[in-house]
Amino acid sequence: MANIAVQRIKREFKEVVKSEEVAECHIQVELVNDSFTELKGQIAGPPDTPYEGATFNLEIKIPETYPFNPPKVKFLTAIWHPNISSVTGAICLDILKDQWAAAMTLRTVLLSLQALLAAAEPDDPQDAVVAKQYKENHPIFLKTARHWANIYAGGTIREDDYDNRVIQLKNMGFDPHKARVALSTHNWNVERAMEHILNY
Amino acid sequence: MGNCLKSPTNDDISLLRGNEGHSEPPDSSGLGPPPPYQETVPVYHPTPNVSRPANQLTEEEQIKIAQRLGLINHLPTGIFDGSKKVRECVICMGEFAIGDSVRFLPCMHTYHKDCIDDWLMRSFTCPSCLEPVDAALLTTYETNSSSN
Repeated sequence: MANIAVQRIKREFKEVVKSEEVAECHIQVELVNDSFTELKGQIAGPPDTPYEGATFNLEIKIPETYPFNPPKVKFLTAIWHPNISSVTGAICLDILKDQWAAAMTLRTVLLSLQALLAAAEPDDPQDAVVAKQYKENHPIFLKTARHWANIYAGGTIREDDYDNRVIQLKNMGFDPHKARVALSTHNWNVERAMEHILNY
Repeated sequence: MGNCLKSPTNDDISLLRGNEGHSEPPDSSGLGPPPPYQETVPVYHPTPNVSRPANQLTEEEQIKIAQRLGLINHLPTGIFDGSKKVRECVICMGEFAIGDSVRFLPCMHTYHKDCIDDWLMRSFTCPSCLEPVDAALLTTYETNSSSN
């Protein structure tokens, strides 16, 4: 990897590790390999959002042309959010694309992602199904996001009625994750979710 | 046409602003034999996420890059002498050392010349304040040329 990229990541790594946000457990970064090309990030769900109390893992890949091009970041933890794919974890965020600037750092990227969790942009979606629910059935979106945060990311608030519907489908022999995706997609209507699983 | 895109080694800001800045040491290669042909074709970035060797650019992209190179060379440069408050180049995050070549943007942000030139070839904005360089540059440029 180009020298400037390695030098930057080494310095940034130190910067994040001793930052205030790490001290307060809001963000975290760790190295995955010795070459500084791949890192693992972690962000805490912001307060007063469905993601509160949850922790999300991120895959961070540093391109050879860093910092002239942005790091490649995606969610490893499943999440229900209009700007993050519930299937792949791909993120739609301008600073990770055309609004990247060489002065931005891993720390600012992680803080921006945390801000994205607090303020979704449903008009610029990554996951069209989630974005539609966010705009048309907001209370269901909030409960679904909370349920996913509880199941996949250690969020503390349980949505018992949603848990029960997943168990209902699981007891019928369906895979619980597939059942959860189908139920979430169809606003927790059990019949339509079943149809969805059987048709796809 | 291909040679137009070779990155110029001399900075011609001194021609525009008199000799107030640091002038580059005289280029002795001007007297010697012509430089050998480059074996590796330089790579350019017509848009931030596209990288293409110089010989595969469209005519439009070649013009854009040539204009960009010209504009970058109108931005003032200097040698870091430790007198400014700024200590670090936020692109490489390295501290400025006395004697480093630096470039000043119209928004007054300062970077290592190599670092910022590489960035400006991809995006013509200041990496710190995101201020577009074009507008500011063109106004100062026009003011300068009209006063000459």
